[in-house]
Amino acid sequence: MRGFREFAEEALAPSTVPGKPEALAGIRVLEVATRIFGPATADYLAQFGAEVIKVELPYRGDLMRYVAPEGFFWKEVSPAFLSLNRNKLHVGLDLHPPEGKELFLRLASTSDVVVENLRAGTMDEWGVGYLQLRERNPRIVYAANSGFGQWGPYSAGRASYDATAQAVSGFSAITGFPDHPPMKAGFWVGDYTAALLSATAILAALAARRTTGEGQMIDLSQAEAMIRTLDWTWPYAGITGKDRARAGNVDPSFPPSGIYRCRDGFVAVSVRDEEEKSRLAHALGATPPDGAGTVTPGRVAAFCASATRDEVVRTAEREGFSAAPVRGGRDHYHDPHLRARGTVWTVQDPLYGPVDEYGPAPKLSGSPGRIKWCAKPVGWHNERVFGELLGLSPGEMEELSRKKVIGKWADAPGARPPAGGTSP
Amino acid sequence: MNGFAEWVRRATDPASASGKPEALDGVRVLEYCPGHFGGMVAASILGEFGADVVKVEPPGGDPLRRVAPEGVEIAGTGLPFLSEARNRRYVTLSLGEPAGREAFRRLALASDVVVTSEPPERMETAGVGYLSLRGDHPGLVYVCLSTYGVFGPDAGRPVKDSDILCQALSGGPYIVGEPEGEGPPMPHQSPTRLGNWHGWFVQGLWGAFGALAALHFRAETGKGQLVDLSGAEAVMMFADYNITWMHTGGKARERVGNFDPAVFPYTYIRCRDGFTFMAAYNDEAFESLMQIIGRPELVRDPRFSTPRSRVRLENERALLSILEEWSGNLTADEILRAVEENTSRKSGPAAAVVTGRVNRPLETVGEAHWIERGCFLRSKDPVYGELLLAAPPWKMSGTPARWKSGCRPPGADNRDVFLRTLGMTEEELRTLETSRTDG
Repeated sequence: MRGFREFAEEALAPSTVPGKPEALAGIRVLEVATRIFGPATADYLAQFGAEVIKVELPYRGDLMRYVAPEGFFWKEVSPAFLSLNRNKLHVGLDLHPPEGKELFLRLASTSDVVVENLRAGTMDEWGVGYLQLRERNPRIVYAANSGFGQWGPYSAGRASYDATAQAVSGFSAITGFPDHPPMKAGFWVGDYTAALLSATAILAALAARRTTGEGQMIDLSQAEAMIRTLDWTWPYAGITGKDRARAGNVDPSFPPSGIYRCRDGFVAVSVRDEEEKSRLAHALGATPPDGAGTVTPGRVAAFCASATRDEVVRTAEREGFSAAPVRGGRDHYHDPHLRARGTVWTVQDPLYGPVDEYGPAPKLSGSPGRIKWCAKPVGWHNERVFGELLGLSPGEMEELSRKKVIGKWADAPGARPPAGGTSP
Repeated sequence: MNGFAEWVRRATDPASASGKPEALDGVRVLEYCPGHFGGMVAASILGEFGADVVKVEPPGGDPLRRVAPEGVEIAGTGLPFLSEARNRRYVTLSLGEPAGREAFRRLALASDVVVTSEPPERMETAGVGYLSLRGDHPGLVYVCLSTYGVFGPDAGRPVKDSDILCQALSGGPYIVGEPEGEGPPMPHQSPTRLGNWHGWFVQGLWGAFGALAALHFRAETGKGQLVDLSGAEAVMMFADYNITWMHTGGKARERVGNFDPAVFPYTYIRCRDGFTFMAAYNDEAFESLMQIIGRPELVRDPRFSTPRSRVRLENERALLSILEEWSGNLTADEILRAVEENTSRKSGPAAAVVTGRVNRPLETVGEAHWIERGCFLRSKDPVYGELLLAAPPWKMSGTPARWKSGCRPPGADNRDVFLRTLGMTEEELRTLETSRTDG
């Protein structure tokens, strides 16, 4: 029998992905969302083969287009917008005028899923919410992503970003160091975590639809998503009546596991059980009978401070505990492991040329995820969606453009195509 | 509450979930993840949607039960395990014994999904790896959770997967925490771990997502498959625009404390009763915020007049002090009311002034909003007592996710699973239960 590793190298190789089917082929998703929570939800579905139609307001589109690190745009697009909007069809469509609503309802009647992250109730006010859509299409799965949910005392009118969820959930209160302020994660974890929970619920609702024949409404609050991730915080509060403390870089569940400073960076040292702990004790030079009891964070810190990251990792591999370097984006970009796995993925985009992106996290042997093309300017796929899918004639589209019901990009960085690239 | 909100409430209130159908009714998940929290999360998520989850523990119980921060445990089980021990049946068997391996194999063949964090070689040797099972069960979805994944140059690295390893490699902590200052670095000026087991949670969540995508494909084609999930890569997906910025600008994210290199204001500000989040980064929202704090002239200050100038770190620092001059005498609630008073008269980008108190966990638990929405629950059990737990986060109108049952002692469901589900004889069960080799 061939070994498992040999099988896996072959069955999961990124080079085999283009010839394989997609898990969510045939599922059409309408996205009416801005910034991260909604767009990331649709991005996760698009990676696995769903056809996502991203509906943006002409002409500025999704305000995430203008979120640019240090104000940097590349070929008129922000790198922060690229990473959230892969494999999507971009249309510019205003849902305020009646013709815009009607076009949207027509799209929804041929779709399986709607993802939105507007303030609670906005889509309903506009006449294109779940109750109106299900009249046309009872099979629609409608994911309403919001800060505080669609109902309850805080739901009305309150906007929310990632860090609202980090803040109000208790997540930041338990992140960071004692005697220092609560720490906001420097990445938009309150959006992505909730987005993945939303995408997961959408897949569950699609599974349910096979049996029931009906779609449903999914109400997900990003704060509640973060609350769900806080493991023993809640039973601890219930039993002790106390707040779980910020524990800095040592994991209070597996001390002295944690992040430690080395001569050339930082490393995570991990001991998950007594065996690993005694191996670490041995590596630190402790001798029985004091043994594992001497493996304090202070001892580990002193050991790491005198070594390089590689030396700590090599010692762990030799002695039988676990360690890994603390890596950042530059390390990822140059990491042959991540490239071999398609986790750093080069997409050949017709408009932008070769672009490196993060590829899908779960690697599926039979119907793998993939990055097929990059984000596009506002309205880039209007003809494809309104013309080919809905069957509007060029004259009808021109008329709708004139009335500003549909439209394309504003002439501004973030919204418009790169110089020279003006037709799909 | 308006009519729509009322409708959603009636349709999705978790209090009326029981009796409604479940999304994953008829899907059986076999979980074998000793000492591993990510695997529990993957199985729990599927279980919350209605899958029939069977958790296999080694005789004596999952080592994760013995993990007890601050020594708090109930009936020999620590709080991390208890927090995720939901909606499953608990069986024990030893993969070190032939009877245990045979029982596992039968369980796997009677399941739709296997979730494991054990090394693949070990599972194949025991005859219960993906290659050993797929011949007899081509529809099986087999989810492998690990630190590095099961293929690629680093796949063979000898680590026992853990939250801290996944976090460290993910790029997450690298951009969390205070940067170093002028003098020698202080301990807190480090890449900082997310305080919860976010690495493990997200690993499990991507595992559940991968399993559902694979089940969707199976429903169309009848084919099962292998799902390989690296916990490091799971969190990596959340590390913003690391790769696209490297590719397009040659730049990598660095840690900047509670500031942000792409949007500002987007930070925690000190207020009279702690900290609150404050964001207003697009021009229209920034103008609203400057009205709120009574400094409308600052929208023309060259340090703050464009999104690009606002994200220069020295300008972020200057703006933070200005904001804190205003917020220092206000409570977080007063700040929220001031923001709502201003933005309720606006719409679109000008209304995007966003705030929210940095709650301690007990403050969150004390807010009526979450209680009303059934966000927390109190489970009661003769062995494990009363526990405060996070409920499934989704409110769904048709097939609501729900919490159905809590922790049970190791092997508590042996008879139910082995006799009734698998159809073993009493004698087979006795043989199985006398296999006591750990493992």
